[in-house]
Amino acid sequence: MSQLQIQLQQTAEPLLNVQEMQFWLDKAVAWGQADSPDTRKDTCLHLSRLRDFLQQLLTHINNMNSTTETMKTLPFLGQFLGRLCWNPYVTAEATSRRLLFQCLWGLYTEHPGNAVERKANQWIRKVLCQLATEDDDAAAQTLMKHTGVPPEEYHLKVLRKRVALLQQNIGKSCSSLGDINQRCSCDSLLAASEACVPLVTCPEAAPLIGTLLQQPVTCVRAALSEDFLDALSSAYSRYQRLSLEEQAVVSLWYHNLSSLEEAVLRLLECVLTKTGLTMQKLKQRLTESLLPKACAQHCSIFLVVNDIFRSILKQAEGTESVKYLIQIFTSCFLRELDLLQHQTSVPLKALFPQSPQSLLVPLVTLPSEMPQEAWRHHLNWLSGSLQRLTEEEEEGDGDSSSSTRGHHNVFDAWFLLVQCAHWVQAAVQLLVTSGPEDCGPLMWLLTFYHHPTNRGHHRALQLVHAKEAWDHLRSLFSVVARPLPVDRLQSLVTLLSSQPQRPSASPLLILNLLVNFAVFFQQSLSGSTEILQTVVERSGLVDEAACVLSSLELRLNEGSCLSSDANRVHLRIKALQNTITHMCAASSPAEN
Amino acid sequence: MEAVLRNLAGTAELLAVAGRSGVVEQWDEQTLSRAFDWARYCEHVFTRFHNNPGMRRIMEKQLQLTNQSLQAVFPAYTDVSFSDLSQCQHLLLVGLLSNPELPSSIMKILFDSMSPANTKQSEYQGVSGLCSRIIQCKSACKVLSPLTDVSAVGADAEVQGAMLMEELAALLSQSSEACRAEHFLDSVLQGCDGAAHHFCLVIAAALLTTTNSAAQTASQDFLLDWLQRKPSELQHMCSTLPATLVIDLSKRHLKFRDAYCVVLKNWASDMEYSISDGEWVQTGTNQTSVSFQRLTEHFLALLEACPSLREGVVKELNVLKISDGDFDVRGLSVWGDLLSIINK
Repeated sequence: MSQLQIQLQQTAEPLLNVQEMQFWLDKAVAWGQADSPDTRKDTCLHLSRLRDFLQQLLTHINNMNSTTETMKTLPFLGQFLGRLCWNPYVTAEATSRRLLFQCLWGLYTEHPGNAVERKANQWIRKVLCQLATEDDDAAAQTLMKHTGVPPEEYHLKVLRKRVALLQQNIGKSCSSLGDINQRCSCDSLLAASEACVPLVTCPEAAPLIGTLLQQPVTCVRAALSEDFLDALSSAYSRYQRLSLEEQAVVSLWYHNLSSLEEAVLRLLECVLTKTGLTMQKLKQRLTESLLPKACAQHCSIFLVVNDIFRSILKQAEGTESVKYLIQIFTSCFLRELDLLQHQTSVPLKALFPQSPQSLLVPLVTLPSEMPQEAWRHHLNWLSGSLQRLTEEEEEGDGDSSSSTRGHHNVFDAWFLLVQCAHWVQAAVQLLVTSGPEDCGPLMWLLTFYHHPTNRGHHRALQLVHAKEAWDHLRSLFSVVARPLPVDRLQSLVTLLSSQPQRPSASPLLILNLLVNFAVFFQQSLSGSTEILQTVVERSGLVDEAACVLSSLELRLNEGSCLSSDANRVHLRIKALQNTITHMCAASSPAEN
Repeated sequence: MEAVLRNLAGTAELLAVAGRSGVVEQWDEQTLSRAFDWARYCEHVFTRFHNNPGMRRIMEKQLQLTNQSLQAVFPAYTDVSFSDLSQCQHLLLVGLLSNPELPSSIMKILFDSMSPANTKQSEYQGVSGLCSRIIQCKSACKVLSPLTDVSAVGADAEVQGAMLMEELAALLSQSSEACRAEHFLDSVLQGCDGAAHHFCLVIAAALLTTTNSAAQTASQDFLLDWLQRKPSELQHMCSTLPATLVIDLSKRHLKFRDAYCVVLKNWASDMEYSISDGEWVQTGTNQTSVSFQRLTEHFLALLEACPSLREGVVKELNVLKISDGDFDVRGLSVWGDLLSIINK
C-alpha cells in the first residue's frame, strides 16, 4: 500500500478517471437489474478486472483526507458500492469482498464532522448489518424457528446441499462421444464451471471444484470455462493451498499450464531462498508440493516441469541447491511412476526425449540396483561415453553445422547426469578408496558434473586441480601423527576458497571430496572430524558441508550408499553433522 | 443445574447489553469472543434440553424472571424465550450490529476477510471474520441457485424438508407428545402463510426423503395423516406442484395416492359443462383452478404410474357415470367424458 502511495506522489495524474467510474457504475446497475444467464456470465467475466478497479478505488479513498472530500470527487461512489454489496458474485469471492468492505471502511469516519459523514456512517452500518443478518425467506425463517436450527447453520446446510446436487449432476457421464448435434449433460459442465468463478476461494465449494476438474474429458462439449481455470490458478497462487484435495490440484495443473508453472516456480523460490535446507526437508517439501505425484500421473506435466528445470539450469548452471532439487525430484518422480507402472507403462524414451538414448538406462539405474563391485566398471563406462560426447562437440566447434547439435547433446547429457546425480555421488565415494591409477575416469566425471561447459578449454586444468586436491586429501587423511601438517591443510583451504580469476576446480567439488573422505576413509572418527572441522572452519563453507552430509544421509536411508556396515557409516555421518551444527551455532549466535 | 440457569440468565443479560447499551464501546476482541462463546453455550443448552419438557419449563421460568428485570432496565426490551436460544449467536450478532454504539473496530473484526477459511468446516472458527463467512455462504448459495433449482424440489426445500423430518422424528419419539408434533406442523404451516407453494415443496421434499429407519417412516406417516386433515393444502399440492413430483409422491405413499385420487374426484365433481366454451369448467369459489384438460392429464399420468389403480378407478367412474344416466354423449356427465378419455 505504501508503495502505491509513493507511486501516486511521483505521478501527477490521478489513477481514477471519470469514464472508468461510469463504466463500472453502468455495469453494476446492469447486473443488478436482471438475473439472466447473460448477466451472470458477464459478471463472472469481469470479476478480476473489477477487483483491480476496487483496488484503485481503495487507494483513491485512502488518499483523500476525509469522506466529504471523497464524495465530492466521486459522487456516485456510495451508490456503486451499495449495488456491489448486493451482488452475490462480488460478495462470494474472497478478494472482491475484502476490497469492497475496505472501501466501505475507508468511507467511515470515526468522528464525523458534518451531516454527509454522519449519514455515510449510518448507511455503512446499516448495509453491513443487513448483509450479515437479513433474511427475507419467510418459510425458511419459520422452519428455523420451529426446528431450532440457527441461520448460520441453515445457510451452510443449503450451500452444502447445492454443492452435492451439482456434483451429482456433473458426475453423470456423457455418452454422446463427440457428436456435436446431440445434447448431453456436458453442457452443464461449462455452466457449472462458469458459476464457480467467484467460488474458487469458498471452502464449501471445494468438492464441486474438485469434481469439475476431475471430469474425464470424454466429449467435445466437456470443457471447463477458461475464466474458471484462470480464477483457480490465480487464487491458487495467492493463497498457498485452497481446500482442494490432491487429485483436484493435479487435475488443475493438467488443465491449466500457468498454475503448474506457478507451482514449480514457487517450489524453486522456496529452495533458493531458504538457507540451511537439509536434503530431508527438501525432499519433504517436494513431496508436499505434489509435483512428483502429478508428473507420474500425467507425463505431459513431467515434460513441462522438466523443461522449466532445464531452462533454469541453462541460465545458471552453478546453483547447487537447484541441482539437488532436480536430482531429488527425478528420483521421487521415478519412484512414483514405479508405483503406478502396473497401470500404464510409459517408455523412458518418452519421458526423457532430449537425453542421449544410449546413456538413459545406464544413468537411470540406481547404484543400489547393482552390486558395489560393478560400480567402478559402470562408472568408467559412463565417464568414457560422456567424454566421447564432449570431445565430439569440441571437435565440431569450428564446423558450424554440427556444433549447435553438439552443444545440445552435451547439455542434455549433462542435464541427465544432474537428474541422475546418484552416480556422481557413487563416483565420489569410490574416489575415496581409489588409487592414483584408477581415479582418472571418476575424476573426469566429477569435474564434468561441476563444470559442464569447457569454456576456454579449461577442463584439463580443472582436472589437474581436482586431482591435486584429491592427492592432498589422501595424504592428509592418511596421516596418523598429530598435529596435522599445516602446509597440507593450508593448501587445501586455499583450493577451497574460490578464486574466480584462475580456472580452478569448483570449491564444491573439493568440499564434496573432503566430506566423503571424512565419512568413508579408514581413519579414526576423531581424526576425520578434526580435519573436516579445521578445513571447513577456515574456508567458511559450513552450510555447504552440512548440505553434503545431509545428502549422504539421504542416500544412506534410501539404500543407495551400499556400505557393508551401513550402521557405522550412519553413526559417522551423524557425528560429523553434530560437529558442523556446533560450528554453525558458534559462528552465528544471533541466528539461535 | 443452578449453574446452567445462572448462565442462561447471564447470557440473556448479555444479549440485552449488546443490543441496547453503550457498554459495548469498551468491548475488545476478547470480550467479543467471550460473548459469542456464551451464545454458543446457550445454543448447546437448547439442543440438549428442548425436547425435555421438565427442564425446559424450569429454564423458561428462569428466563421469564430475567426478562422482567431486564424490562425494568431497558425500555422497549423484547423478551428472550427459551426457543430463541436456538439462535442465540444470531441474536447477539443482530443486537451488536444494530447497536449504534458498537465501535467500528469491533465491526471490522467481525467483517475481516483476510484469508479464506482453510480450516476444517466443522470446527469453530472464531469471531474474526464471522460476518464475512456468513456473507460468503449466503452469496455462494445465491450464485449456485440458478444451476440447482432446476431439480424438482430445489435445494432450499430439500434442506427444509430434512429439518422438518428431523424435528418431527424427535417430537414423535417422545410417545406422550403426539399433539406437540401436530402443533409443530400447524405452526410451520401458519408461518409459511403467504408462501403456500413453497410450503408444498417442503412437504413434498419431506415425504420424498429416503427413510433409513422406522422412526423416519413413522414421521412420514404422521405427516401424511396430518396432510389429509388439511384439504386445502393437499389440493394446493396436487395442483401446483410439478406433475413428476406428484407422481413420485403417489408412487411412494399409498395414503397420498389415495388422497390424490379423492382430490381429483372432487375437482371433477365440481365441474359443469359450459356450452359456450364447449368444455367442462370449474365452478365454485375453489381456490385451485384446474382445467378439464389438466384434470385428464392428472388422471392419465396417475394411472400410468400406478397401473394397479386402473381397475378400481374405471369401476368407480363407471358407477358414477351410470348414476348420471349412463349416456355416451359428450358434455352430459363429467365421469363419462373422463372415462372415455381414460379408456382410449
